[in-house]
Amino acid sequence: MSSGHKKRNFQIEAFKHKVVVDPKYAEKTWKILEHAIHEIYNHNASGLSFEELYRVCPWRFILEELNTKWSDHNKALQMIRDILMYMDRTFIPSTRKTPVHELGLNLWRDNVIHSDKIQTRLLNTVLELILRERTGEVINRGLMRNIIKMLMDLGPLVYQDDFEKPFLEVSADFYRAESQEFIECSDCGDYLKKAERRLNEEIERVSHYLDAKSEAKITNVVEKEMVANHMLRLVHMENSGLVKMLLDDKLEDLGRMYALFKRVPIGLPTIRDVMTSHIRDTGKQLVTDPEKSKNPVEFVESLLDKKDKYDKVIASSFNNDKTFQNALNSSFEYFINLNPRSPEYISLFVDDKLRKGLKGVKEEEIETMLDKVMMLFRYLQEKDVFEKYYKQHLAKRLLSGKTVSDDAERSLIVKLKTECGYQFTSKLEGMFTDMKTSQDTMQGFYSAHGSDLASGPTLVVQVLTTGSWPTQSSITCNLPSEMLALCDKFRSYYLGTHTGRRLSWQTNMGTADLRATFGNGQKYELNVSTYQMCVLMLFNNADCLSYREIEQATEIISSDLKRCLQSLACVKGKNVLRKEPMSKDIGEDDVFSVNDKFTSKLRKVKIGTVAAQKETEPEKQETRQRVEEDRKPQIEAAVVRIMKARRVLDHNNIIAEVTKQLQSRFLANPSEIKKRIESLIERDFLERDNVDRRLYRYLA
Amino acid sequence: MPRASSRKGPTNSTASGNSSAVDLFRAASGKAASKELERIDQLFYSYSSNSCGMIDPEGIESLCSDLEVDHTDVRILMLAWKMQAEKQGYFTLDEWRSGLKGLRVDTTLKLKKALPDLEKEVRRPPNFANFYSFAFRYCLTEEKQKTVDIESICILLDLILGSVFRPQVDLLTQYLKIQSDYKVINMDQWMGFYRFCNEISFPDLSNYDPDLAWPLILDNFVDWLRSDRA
Repeated sequence: MSSGHKKRNFQIEAFKHKVVVDPKYAEKTWKILEHAIHEIYNHNASGLSFEELYRVCPWRFILEELNTKWSDHNKALQMIRDILMYMDRTFIPSTRKTPVHELGLNLWRDNVIHSDKIQTRLLNTVLELILRERTGEVINRGLMRNIIKMLMDLGPLVYQDDFEKPFLEVSADFYRAESQEFIECSDCGDYLKKAERRLNEEIERVSHYLDAKSEAKITNVVEKEMVANHMLRLVHMENSGLVKMLLDDKLEDLGRMYALFKRVPIGLPTIRDVMTSHIRDTGKQLVTDPEKSKNPVEFVESLLDKKDKYDKVIASSFNNDKTFQNALNSSFEYFINLNPRSPEYISLFVDDKLRKGLKGVKEEEIETMLDKVMMLFRYLQEKDVFEKYYKQHLAKRLLSGKTVSDDAERSLIVKLKTECGYQFTSKLEGMFTDMKTSQDTMQGFYSAHGSDLASGPTLVVQVLTTGSWPTQSSITCNLPSEMLALCDKFRSYYLGTHTGRRLSWQTNMGTADLRATFGNGQKYELNVSTYQMCVLMLFNNADCLSYREIEQATEIISSDLKRCLQSLACVKGKNVLRKEPMSKDIGEDDVFSVNDKFTSKLRKVKIGTVAAQKETEPEKQETRQRVEEDRKPQIEAAVVRIMKARRVLDHNNIIAEVTKQLQSRFLANPSEIKKRIESLIERDFLERDNVDRRLYRYLA
Repeated sequence: MPRASSRKGPTNSTASGNSSAVDLFRAASGKAASKELERIDQLFYSYSSNSCGMIDPEGIESLCSDLEVDHTDVRILMLAWKMQAEKQGYFTLDEWRSGLKGLRVDTTLKLKKALPDLEKEVRRPPNFANFYSFAFRYCLTEEKQKTVDIESICILLDLILGSVFRPQVDLLTQYLKIQSDYKVINMDQWMGFYRFCNEISFPDLSNYDPDLAWPLILDNFVDWLRSDRA
């Protein structure tokens, strides 16, 4: 070593000289080195005999043996490298020979690891141990780590070829067989638990004694064999698959399925598709169930429950996955619109809540409820239909003074406004304004006329702006003379303060409180509709009246009169009138008289409910027709707006644009759009292009 | 018409060069023309009614009998087209003049002989489309009227398209009579019928696409055809 250093100092001359002087110098030196290397091995690794290793060692000791020898070899190699350091640093790089340490490793690889007596045994032993660990035995992980480390030290190729590849193959076989066995005898939830455990075990194994790069590869094997290959079967397992989990709210199992399936291609779409079709199917059942349709409030409540349920599933099991939320939304949109009455029912639900359901409920809860309603509203394609009903129901609430919370009413209108714009709610807001103005008007009226009105009946007038309210043009019935005088007084008062206005009485919408004394002296306060009041007041001057006499005196149109008489004479407990003959329906030849035997536990009797109810079939059709009529100008306006901007446009594009423009209000029917276009052509707003018949031109 | 314009052409272009010969020619032809015009006018007065100064329905009826054609014959409609008659059942003097001059006839007999050629002229494609839309306008008798009732439309279809598109016309008129969505037909729909007959392969309807800009009534018609067959 020291001579080597000297040599280096006066390199060229000295070297030549010595070669000439002593030709045996190199040989001598080598002898010394050779002896030293042998000494190192003898010293450190006494009795390193591979022969012994091959023969004697039972399989479980081969790793221990190999490990010991490997560490000896490493130590020896270290020393040899130290001895030959000079050569390693100067001679090796310049002659491009293999460095000492690497040479040592290569020799180990070729002579030990790749010797045909060891190679297979080593691999089999390692794999055998892993298999034992998989089946629950505890193995010496430290030893495994050393052996694997040895393979890694020998180079990535050795690790891959002599261990990793066969390891992955064997693992695939193992999990293929195991998953086959599992799936035959477990339900979906248990299977997923096993798969999850296996996956975690493999990840743990890698962290303990394999190359970190192997993690992706081995998890991939488990994912493929245990998840991907059985995905459809798992999802569709009867009584335990995805549908069953959804039905039973198995949030944990669903979360596990999500996490596992997420690891494999098309795993999540598989879950999503099954979930979507399940929601669609059950949703369709729900909205088309005639039983559910009987009670609109329950109908909407079950929709909300369903939404809550799936929101929870997606939030807690599906990681709030956006694509799942979208699937949920589109499913709701799909089935809610399958029932054409959904808009009506949602409005009825709000009506119910704002009438009575909110008493004693905290403000935040009201907001939450309203937000939920808005969410359902967003799914509606026919928002204009909702608006129609909402207006009707709101009108009834306001006019009958039945609304529980003004704040809640206004809050919902603000929400609708945010969602659909000013236009959508302007009329609704007008209704609130009318209510407020009417109060002031009545105060003015009574302060002006109070003294001379004290003895008579009290009149409360709500002045409704035409157009803001869903008023039907109805014929005013004949009011009792007492009322008529009062009404006229109000009219002249009102018209005196507001010039240029016209008042017409909507007798179909009002209510009245009557004090009635029956034959036995019993006094009751009756809450009735204006029509019913008109009928009952007739009996102040007559004992007995026929249907025709009543009709003539009141001039109430027959369908309304029949309904009104029915609630006065045919409802048990509220039958203040008696009818001859006794029957459920009102006939034109029936005769009515005061029911002297009328009794009630309550002093105040409310006759005939003004509460909003589900529309009857003809009413529904009428509303539908009004909606359709209202849509026509909207479609035409959209067509004209678009054509004005585009001048020339083809049929398909115009349909698409109109549909898009109107989406926030309703889903325009293409053939209806076509009809409107044809009508615009007829009225010379548009023309067809002479050459390309698909094109329309705007005629300014 | 073609002759008239070819005569006019050289007259203008040679006006400065050979004026005397042109003048002579013009005078001669002018004389003949005025004679012709006179006869055309005479013929008009033989049919016109004194009260309105036009040939009225009664006059047309007698013209038809002189021509030995029925007054509902398509050729009478073609004659009206040739005259570009404004009002159904009436011919004004101007209309009569332009029509008969165009046909180069000045007697009833000549008119009768000219009818087959007139029909050929009308059946030529560009003329026919013009004639087809004229036929609709001709039915609009009232001020601001824009539509024609279904019954008249059926007769008109039969009259105009019947000879060429018999199966289409039969089914279309059958459909128009049983449907209840439309009581009247407008110009757009009327033109749609013609396009339909011309463009749509019948009876398989293979190239009918309801997503194109066909009037809705034709969508309905096609639906009816398809369901009727299924």
